[in-house]
Amino acid sequence: MIRTAKDMKAYRKKIKAALKNRFLRKALDNFASAYKVSRAKAFEGIDLPALKGEIARGKDQALTVLEDLYLRFKAGAEAAGAVVHLAKTAGEANEIIATIARDNGVKTIVKSKSMTAEETHLNDHLEARGFQVTETDLGEWIIQLRNEGPSHMVMPAIHLSRGQVGTLFGDVTKTPVDLEDIDRMVKVARKELRPAFLSADMGISGANMAIAETGTLGIISNEGNARLTTTLPRVHVALVGLEKLVPDLFAALRILRVLPRNATGQALTSYVSWITGAVECGASATGKKILHIVFLDNGRLELARDPVFSEALRCIRCGACSNVCPVYGKVGGHTLGHVYIGAIGLILTYFYHGKDNARAIVRNCLNCQACKSVCPVNIDLPFLIKQVYRRILADEGSKPVKNTILSAVMKNRRLFHTLLRTASALQGPLVKKEAGVLRHLPFIFGKAHDFRTLPALAEKPFRDQWPKIRPRIQNPRLRVALFGGCVVDFVSPEQALALARLLSAHQVQMEYPPGQSCCGLPAMMMAEEETAAEVAVQNLEALDPDRYDYILVLCASCGSHMKEGYSQLLAGKPEQAEKLHQLQDKLMDFSSFMVKVLKVRPEDFIQNQRRVAYHSPCHLCRGLGVTQEPRELLRTAGLDYAPCKDEDVCCGFGGSYSLEFPEISSEILGQKLDDVEATGADVLVTDCPGCVLQLRGGMNKRNGRVQVRHIAEIVADNLKTP
Amino acid sequence: MEELMDRMKEKAGLVQAVVSTVSSMEEVLGRAVDITLGQKGKTIAAPGLDPESLQRLEELCKAAGLTVLSPPFRPHLSGIHTALTHVDWAIAETGTLVLDSNSEDLRIATMLSETHMAWIPASRIVPDAAALSARMIEKMKSGSGYLAFITGPSRTADIERVLAIGVHGPQELHILMMEET
Repeated sequence: MIRTAKDMKAYRKKIKAALKNRFLRKALDNFASAYKVSRAKAFEGIDLPALKGEIARGKDQALTVLEDLYLRFKAGAEAAGAVVHLAKTAGEANEIIATIARDNGVKTIVKSKSMTAEETHLNDHLEARGFQVTETDLGEWIIQLRNEGPSHMVMPAIHLSRGQVGTLFGDVTKTPVDLEDIDRMVKVARKELRPAFLSADMGISGANMAIAETGTLGIISNEGNARLTTTLPRVHVALVGLEKLVPDLFAALRILRVLPRNATGQALTSYVSWITGAVECGASATGKKILHIVFLDNGRLELARDPVFSEALRCIRCGACSNVCPVYGKVGGHTLGHVYIGAIGLILTYFYHGKDNARAIVRNCLNCQACKSVCPVNIDLPFLIKQVYRRILADEGSKPVKNTILSAVMKNRRLFHTLLRTASALQGPLVKKEAGVLRHLPFIFGKAHDFRTLPALAEKPFRDQWPKIRPRIQNPRLRVALFGGCVVDFVSPEQALALARLLSAHQVQMEYPPGQSCCGLPAMMMAEEETAAEVAVQNLEALDPDRYDYILVLCASCGSHMKEGYSQLLAGKPEQAEKLHQLQDKLMDFSSFMVKVLKVRPEDFIQNQRRVAYHSPCHLCRGLGVTQEPRELLRTAGLDYAPCKDEDVCCGFGGSYSLEFPEISSEILGQKLDDVEATGADVLVTDCPGCVLQLRGGMNKRNGRVQVRHIAEIVADNLKTP
Repeated sequence: MEELMDRMKEKAGLVQAVVSTVSSMEEVLGRAVDITLGQKGKTIAAPGLDPESLQRLEELCKAAGLTVLSPPFRPHLSGIHTALTHVDWAIAETGTLVLDSNSEDLRIATMLSETHMAWIPASRIVPDAAALSARMIEKMKSGSGYLAFITGPSRTADIERVLAIGVHGPQELHILMMEET
């Protein structure tokens, strides 16, 4: 049975239990590493961004005419001898299928893997009506025997060890099974399930594609069970989500080009079956298969019309959003999903299984963008996850107190900054002066938060230092404004000072427009969209981008939020369009500016070849798409860049995420630091003050010897002074 | 043509199919008998084989102590060792065989045998699936049908992601590319 936590208290308990499962973490970690390699290989020679865009556009177009596609499919399939049904709800689909079974005198059923059948809890329904149902996909059979739901959409039993499977098979067959021999276990399944295929009266499958033009189902499988399920029994029922409808074979083949590659790194699955209508079947009295195709609505038609959420229906169920999710990698699918798993699961759960099941899990997103970048149909998963959270808050009509406080403070920059200055003045007794970190965590934090030290607030924020130290450059090459962001301004002004030094040395006039506030991302993360929009407007006005050649950011999260998030937030404010456009044109991260605009040279720097590792911030490499420049800059600045495993995997910070889910954040951070230490580097460099805070805090806590620096600091350190 | 054959061989090999080149039907039949004997199998199902070749296969099997099963194959669901089939097309990009599987006997043989041996004239190898789409659409529009793509033998990675071959379908797939004479 699937038991999904319905509130945060129960959810935290479940997370803690999941984190104790060391096998799970190891298995998922190995998988995540192997997956990246095989996926990259599978897509060699394919223009993936172009293909993704084509599929997404095709899907979007199909979604506007789903009912029409359904009617065309029905006409084609029924002309070829099938019966096509449309079920409004999950219950209706289950009942249609039970009735088909009853009308045809069915007793035994074999099933090949179908997430849609998981969605409707079809097996429970059929079993309650006295039918015997056997899952035949190896993973699905295993979890059926264990009475569990899938923990991954493509690999349902990935949470289990060979030992657990071997023991289970031993119990089922009453014959001991070698607990190490996976080949043997697979043969046990082959032998045990063969009689079920041979004797079944009915086969139930899903479908990956339903081609409207010809009424054809496309079904992919590796094991061959889908072929047997659709061939041997006299009755075949396919349960298909309406969003699987595509207009023609061309669209189906396009999906087939990415689905297996993105799911498992396979160029193609072992089998693809294209079934049109009722084919020859010796087990049926008429000599023809009794074929019923049941399309499931269950909210899809409404979702297809939703201006924000319709893109969730582009999903082709490849499961890749789980494969790359750092949270999934730590807690697994039974904790990060309901029936549907991973990033897409956090979204679909709300629509297909209700807000009670979505309420807690939807908060478990780092916003690291890994899912978005791997999604083969360009679904903006992190954004939609936040939008679901927002809907749930609206549905429930009551917000967490922290949301209300955050909104009130954030909208008023002066109040916000005054509070920060006051906190800085009052934190004295809490601060370990020499280290610049808090001695104790404030009492509102529990023990779970003690996995990193937290930095003290700066004695004097950058904005208060700036007027006195602002250099005046004669005949500057360029004029740039720094958008600092809260962390640089109030916690780590040294990062902005380093930038100021570098810019002065290159004859660039820097400004720090004082009206700037928080970028607004934290408000977005807490689903406070109105607050985020208000702050965005304040920043546009304060920065007045027309006055500068570039707007620089030291924080990748601020940068990517301003570059991408502002467009979504300000879509309904045409009066801001011009300034927004200017801002987005001129916005640039530190490394890109140094490399591409200033074109810094090795002779500008002391070549001391300190060994440095690099952490690629989520919002830099995926948000802003900057990957080469920081690495190039490190080399130019005289440093010995030592590549590290999983450089582009999140550090576990995620802003307020690390406060909400400290145990998971800590686990992700720990692995990151292990990987960094394994490089033998003396310094870990990154280009986001949030990542610095997390990584340095974690390194301090473990008394590690690796220093953590912002890239602007280490580059400024090596600058030759004239 | 040679380029497509090489590609087909490489891609099908990557997914554990055994690919070789033959020059005559006699060679195909001989291979089927040899492999069945080598695996200690007893039976061969050869749906759709032309009468002349079928007769020759029966002679070879008789001499080797094997049985050629006669259709329909439903009564032999548990007794097919080798399936020997023709292939309609092959897709070099992914090493895929394309079989028009309307015939239930063809489906049963290719799904329930232990070893599937398939031969294909080299001229019927195409670069990618798109190159077949016109033919596929034509087929899909001509009434009921079952078209199968087969890429390597049956496989799973459902237990600890360890690749294991031969779950519910054939445990071995042998592809014989027949060069035109």
